[in-house]
Amino acid sequence: MNPQSGRLPATRGVFAIEEQQLVLPDPIALDTSLVVEALLATQPLHGVCDAFLTRIFDSGVSVVTSELLRAELAETAFAIAMKERWAGKWRAHRTDGRTRPRAGRLLNNTLARYDEMLGSLPHISVRLGQVADSAPQIMTKYGLASYDAIHAASAVAAGAETMATTDTGFALLPASLLTVYTDRSRLASCRRKRPR
Amino acid sequence: MESMAKAQTNGKTEIKRLSAKELAEITHPPKYETVEERRAALKRATTGLRVKVRVTRDMYRPR
Repeated sequence: MNPQSGRLPATRGVFAIEEQQLVLPDPIALDTSLVVEALLATQPLHGVCDAFLTRIFDSGVSVVTSELLRAELAETAFAIAMKERWAGKWRAHRTDGRTRPRAGRLLNNTLARYDEMLGSLPHISVRLGQVADSAPQIMTKYGLASYDAIHAASAVAAGAETMATTDTGFALLPASLLTVYTDRSRLASCRRKRPR
Repeated sequence: MESMAKAQTNGKTEIKRLSAKELAEITHPPKYETVEERRAALKRATTGLRVKVRVTRDMYRPR
């Protein structure tokens, strides 16, 4: 039997960002997970997400981000410094004065890079107050966690029909609300999560 | 009077969409003027930041 034959799998509105034929909608929303992978060269999906940002740049489309993304990036940088020193016990050492200088430098470096990234692209930055009512709606209607719901509500509020992410949680939304662009390894998981 | 933003939906759900005026207020052009400057900025943003641990979702977002 030819393994290539048969019906193609249903996409359920989930597509791989590695796919070169993928159409980039305008605007496209970015989730923190994708930005973390793109900014940090040591992350496993750095190459994939960096290349995807370059495709966004080359195509000239606008990006939509939530104000929350900046706060999550700051938390990421802080947590990295703590985890580098304290490994699995880092949460118990947030107030450790010996680690905070490194955390501060890393935080400033990361946020400066984020600003550079945004400075290179046309972008829409959705304020938290602008989705204060709709994020809880998304939580109760689709079961998303609060932070995910803020990102999703921000995307919809700004007119984006696609979320670029490496977080499978956004697949809990119906495809009619947000298409999900993710890395190839998460396609099957996202498609399974889609509501039928 | 109800604002336009509150009246507008995406047609599929009741999730609010921003009005054109609200969108204009939060829309920003690229900071750099030329394509070369912008490309260089993106390159600076995504090059060379190396850390000793792997970042996982729970480091920035609670489940």
